[in-house]
Amino acid sequence: MAKPTKPLYSSLDEWVDVQPLEQYEKVNPLAPIFYTDEYKDATSYFRGIVKSGEMSPRVLDLTEHIIRLNPAHYTAWQYRYRTLMSIKAPLDVELKLMDELAVKYLKTYQVWHHRRLILTETRDPQRELAFVEESLREDTKNYHTWSHRQWVLSHFNDIDLWRGELDFLDTMFNQDIRNNSAWHHRFFVVFQSGVREGEEDRERVVRRELTFTKQNISFAPNNPSAWNYLRGVLEFNKLPFSTVTTFVFPYTQPTDPEAVDLVDLDNPPPSKQAELPCPAAIEFLADIYESEGGESLLKANQLWKSLADEHDTMRKRYWEYRIKESLQKGST
Amino acid sequence: MANSRPLRPAPDDAFPTATSRLQAETEAVLLDHIPTQASAETTQAPAKLHKSAHIQFLARNFIQGFPAKYTSQDASQPWLMFWTLQSFSVLQVGLDPGNKQRAIDTILTWQHPDGGFGGGPGQGAHLLATYASVCALSIAGGPGEKGGWDQIDRKKMYQFFMSLKQPDGSFLVAHHAEVDVRGIYCLLVTATLLDIITPELVEGTASFIASCQTYEGGFSSASQPYYSSVPYTPESLLSSPRPPLGEAHGGYTFCALASWVLLQPFLDLSPRERPQINTKSLLRWLVQMQGSPAEIGGFRGRANKLVDGCYSWWVGGAFGLLEALGVSAAVGPVSPGGGGGVEMSGEEGEGREDGKHGEDEHEWDDVDGPPFLPSTILADLAHKIDVADSFFNREALQEYILFAGQHPTGGLRDKPPKQASPFSGISIV
Repeated sequence: MAKPTKPLYSSLDEWVDVQPLEQYEKVNPLAPIFYTDEYKDATSYFRGIVKSGEMSPRVLDLTEHIIRLNPAHYTAWQYRYRTLMSIKAPLDVELKLMDELAVKYLKTYQVWHHRRLILTETRDPQRELAFVEESLREDTKNYHTWSHRQWVLSHFNDIDLWRGELDFLDTMFNQDIRNNSAWHHRFFVVFQSGVREGEEDRERVVRRELTFTKQNISFAPNNPSAWNYLRGVLEFNKLPFSTVTTFVFPYTQPTDPEAVDLVDLDNPPPSKQAELPCPAAIEFLADIYESEGGESLLKANQLWKSLADEHDTMRKRYWEYRIKESLQKGST
Repeated sequence: MANSRPLRPAPDDAFPTATSRLQAETEAVLLDHIPTQASAETTQAPAKLHKSAHIQFLARNFIQGFPAKYTSQDASQPWLMFWTLQSFSVLQVGLDPGNKQRAIDTILTWQHPDGGFGGGPGQGAHLLATYASVCALSIAGGPGEKGGWDQIDRKKMYQFFMSLKQPDGSFLVAHHAEVDVRGIYCLLVTATLLDIITPELVEGTASFIASCQTYEGGFSSASQPYYSSVPYTPESLLSSPRPPLGEAHGGYTFCALASWVLLQPFLDLSPRERPQINTKSLLRWLVQMQGSPAEIGGFRGRANKLVDGCYSWWVGGAFGLLEALGVSAAVGPVSPGGGGGVEMSGEEGEGREDGKHGEDEHEWDDVDGPPFLPSTILADLAHKIDVADSFFNREALQEYILFAGQHPTGGLRDKPPKQASPFSGISIV
């Protein structure tokens, strides 16, 4: 076990006025945890403090101590926040501490939420985006970190904050075009948080996004994040999937060794090393055929069958469901 | 047999990135856990869930206590209790009256004087701890003076719930804490079990849930409200923009969808238009979460992330919830069972295939642990879940759990070579 980081509170004169509280006084508990003496001592004094309602600078020390031993102790966080507000503690100091703790306890809900509470008070998000970028280096797909960035952007909704987002995303995509968190963030920034200065021409924005997505699919066609984004852009903007039929078709075919290099920004072809046919493309093309209806349903069914029997057998039942469903629709 | 399917590695299109490298490493580890044709023929034994080893793993912690590394779960004591009780229940292990009473007495020490339950004695009330405590009492407790069930203060519980309510229909998980769909799911299940769910309590909640569905089809943890000039009232909440915070995620999707199912009787009470979710894109997203044969058909929790045993429950369970909403597979044979060469029979020969209870999270291990539907609510969905399994490849998922998910010394885990934990155990069973 880790060595104690501090002397026990029970040995300190300045805590002698606090009555520590045992966790279980009258009950012999089931499923207990064997705590270290340090943790048991600190939490016993914390229970004593909560009972007395004391809010003072030493409560900040005590709660920080507990948080470092167990960052998921939400009651320590809660009481810490109340104490900070009550004694009007300097919040820039608190945020500095959070810089350290957020990276240390990246996967804990509380570190991120406490940060939000502090920022809501200070109303000063200026260094937040850089901080998030820094902590994404530790874990490029951390859910809390991405959510925090999105909260900062939408809560403060300041044009200066939004301005750099696409450049930031370029950096992330350059590292890993399969980072689904980055794709989601792009959708959040471009489509779901209102329209900002310079983005008023929505047709141009949609064209830009389609070009961006197709380009990324051409580099690595078997990337579900990119196909999901393509679907998202079209559906959100109420455009039919057939808008991109010409682009999608080559990805549904086996690799063509005879293919010549060509530059076509609207319809970039699969890279030479692409592993084709790509199941996501086959699914996409089947959706196009299904929406055409009539004779095309047969073509959709053939594609679903090829997925069920050959290209994506794990989802056989789903593809069979799609066939059945389309036949039911077609007959009514 | 497991090895009759082609094991094509995830294609990286000769364009490797961090995601595809980690994926390839994981597939290599999983490959070692698939029996070869030869070993399968010589042993002749079907794959088994090692039931008695798992029970010992659970009982050791339950009676003797959890080692110090579980200090990280100090604010989740109700979860340790609930997971263990639920695992015993699924594995058909009974508790003697003395330990049953100890369990009830322990749980009641977590009730907060102002309503709800905390993660331990003296801790603040929290929706996740409240849910786990009430569910644990639904297993170990009963009516009467010492039964625990009647000692839940329903009136204060309701007041606690209302004190967490936000103008956008969401709820904080605790005072000064975050909003997310886990907490809402926990609140709705608890309120349903205790019969304190009211139109007032859930006004606007369905719209909030609907706003968490992302373009991918699954659900995120929360959404961000925008308000018109008079801030922070339900009247000033704008219907757009209302963006999801975070990408589609298996755990949050389960919680959101289960909430949506529980909110069905209240949908027409919505102050504005009836909220809607897109079940078609949701179904598509869910089936896409199942891994390839090279991943032994386990589930992942987000696009381009790794498979993880805990999502057997989260994503697998979501299919059953969809079925409850009338999205029915209903193609081909309803029950896919058999033919997989895998039997779920325990050493005692009483294992059942339909033990879908349980949960866990690993990749989703952020903190207080995941909720899941208590058997009382699950009961009326149970028959539908069997049908719904025809949406995904059930035999393949069983193989993932039995070959990759069992720790050799007992307990279940996310994936090899990780350690077993009670959370994995419950989810996967």
